[in-house]
Amino acid sequence: MLRRLVRTIFPRGYSFLTWQAFALFIVVWEVGAFCSPAWPSLFSEIAPVWSRDFRDPEFLQALAGSARRMAVGYSLVVVLGVGGGIMLGRLPLVDQLLGSLAVAMHGIPGAAWVPLAILWFGMTEQAVVFTVLLGAAGIVIVETDTGIRQVPPIIRHAARTMGARGPRYFWFVVVPAAVPKIVGGLRLAWAFGWRALMAGELLTSVSGLGQRLSQVAKAQQLDQLLALMLLIAAVGIVVDGLIFKRLEYEVQVRWGLVG
Amino acid sequence: MHVELKHVFKSFPQNGGRVEVLNDINLTVREGEFVCLLGPSGCGKSTIINLIAGLDRPDRGEVAVEGRPVHGPDPSRIVVFQDAALFPWLNVLGNVEFGLRMAGIPAITRRARALEYIKLVHLSKFSHAYPHQLSGGMKQRVAIARALVLQPSILLLDEPFAALDAQTRAVLQNELLEIWELARPTILFVTHNVREATGLADRVYVISSRPGRIRDVQAITVPRPRHAEDHALQAHQHAILGILGEEVEKVFREELGETVHFPEAQHSLPPDQATGMHI
Repeated sequence: MLRRLVRTIFPRGYSFLTWQAFALFIVVWEVGAFCSPAWPSLFSEIAPVWSRDFRDPEFLQALAGSARRMAVGYSLVVVLGVGGGIMLGRLPLVDQLLGSLAVAMHGIPGAAWVPLAILWFGMTEQAVVFTVLLGAAGIVIVETDTGIRQVPPIIRHAARTMGARGPRYFWFVVVPAAVPKIVGGLRLAWAFGWRALMAGELLTSVSGLGQRLSQVAKAQQLDQLLALMLLIAAVGIVVDGLIFKRLEYEVQVRWGLVG
Repeated sequence: MHVELKHVFKSFPQNGGRVEVLNDINLTVREGEFVCLLGPSGCGKSTIINLIAGLDRPDRGEVAVEGRPVHGPDPSRIVVFQDAALFPWLNVLGNVEFGLRMAGIPAITRRARALEYIKLVHLSKFSHAYPHQLSGGMKQRVAIARALVLQPSILLLDEPFAALDAQTRAVLQNELLEIWELARPTILFVTHNVREATGLADRVYVISSRPGRIRDVQAITVPRPRHAEDHALQAHQHAILGILGEEVEKVFREELGETVHFPEAQHSLPPDQATGMHI
C-alpha cells in the first residue's frame, strides 16, 4: 500500500531535479518550523533578516571583506597550487623531497591552520588569507602533480614519435594532458578555501561573514545565525555550480572523458 | 627507408615471471614497400611496431633502419595508432601542426602545410573542430594527416582501421593506397583482418600467437586496384586462413582449456564466408 503510494509519487528511475530537491528542502524546513518554536520559518523570520542585512552597510562591508579575502586567497591558491604542482611533476627530485609534504598539508583541515596564522600574522587580514591558502593549496598541488604523472601512454607515445621532447614535450603535451586533473583540484580547492575562510574569520575576528557568525551566536540570535549559514551555503553552491561544475564538465567533454 | 629486424626477441614481465612475446623475428621491409603484419590478437604485432618506432627496445636481436640500429623515436618513423591518439586539447589544425611545431617550423609555414594535408584527407571543413566532435573515421583521417605532414619515410600503422565500420574502413583503405602511391613512404601495416592485409600489401607476414613467430610470408603480386573476387587474391587468403586457423585454435585452447576444436571444414570455406576472415 505504502509502496504503491511511493511509486505513484516517485515513478521508478525518477531522479530529483535541482529545483525539486530545493522545493523539498523548503517544505521540510517549514514543517519543522511549524512544529517547533525554536525553529524559525524561512518566510516569516529568515527572509526579513536577509532583506535587513542587505540594506545594512556594516553587513555589506563584511560581505565585501569576505569576498576580497577569498579572491586574494584563491588567486594565490591557483598560482602557487598549479605552479607548485607543475614544479613537483617536472622535477622528480623535488617531488621526492616535497611531494609527501604537499599530501600532508592537504591532510590538515583549513581551520587547523588558524592558530598558526594568528601567531605569525596576528588578528589580521593576512592571517585569513594565509588560512585560505594553506587550507586549499594542498589539493591543487597534489592533483596537478598526479595529472602530470598520469599522462596516458598512448598520448606519450604519439607525442614522442612526432619528435616532442624536453621542455616542448612538457609544456605542449604533459601540462595540457593534466588539465582535467588540475581543474578537478581547483574545484575542490574552492570548497576547501571557502570553509577555511569562514574558520579564519570566525577565529581572527576580522570583519567578515565568519566573524558575524560568532557575533550573532554570542547574541543568541538564532534567526540571524541560520540566515547567515544559509547564505554561506548558498554562496558555496552557486559559485561551484555556475563556475566550477560547468568548467569541469566543459573540460571533460573536450578531453573525451565523458560521452 | 629500408627496415630490418634480425633475430629479435622480446618479453614482458607478468605475474612475477616473464612472458615471451616475440621469438626470433626476422623481417625486412624494402624502401617504398607496403608490408602487412597479420596475426591473431596477442601475437606481438604492436610490439614490432613499437620496436621500429623506437618506443621500446628488443631483449635480443637487432632493429635497424637504413642499416643503422634504432635508438629512440624519430619523426621519420611515425605511428598511426588504432584509437587515433589525437590530442584532445588541440583542434584538427593544432593536431596536424603538432609535429611541425615540435620541429620548430615557423607558424605561417606550418599552418599552410597542415592545411594542405588536412585537405588531402578531405577534412578542410573540420580544421577547427575538436577531436570529441569527430567520428572514428574522421579521427583516423586526422591521425593520418598528422603523420603525413611530417613526410615520414616510414609509416607504421597499428590496426588503424580496426575500430571502424566496414564502409568507412574500405574508403580509408583506398585513400591510404592513393596517398601511398603519391608519396611512396615505406609502410608497415598491422592488422588481424585477412582481407585487409591481402587487399593492401605487397607482402604479408603471417605471425603466430604467443610467442610471436613468423609463420609465413606471402608475396602478393596482384595489381592494384584489387578486387575481392580475384582468384589469385582468394588463393592467398585461403593459404593464410589455413595457417591462421591453427593459430586461432591455439589461442582458444590457451584461453579456454583443451575443450575447443575447430571443424576441418571451416578452413575450406571460401574466404568470404569463412568465420576466420576476422580473427
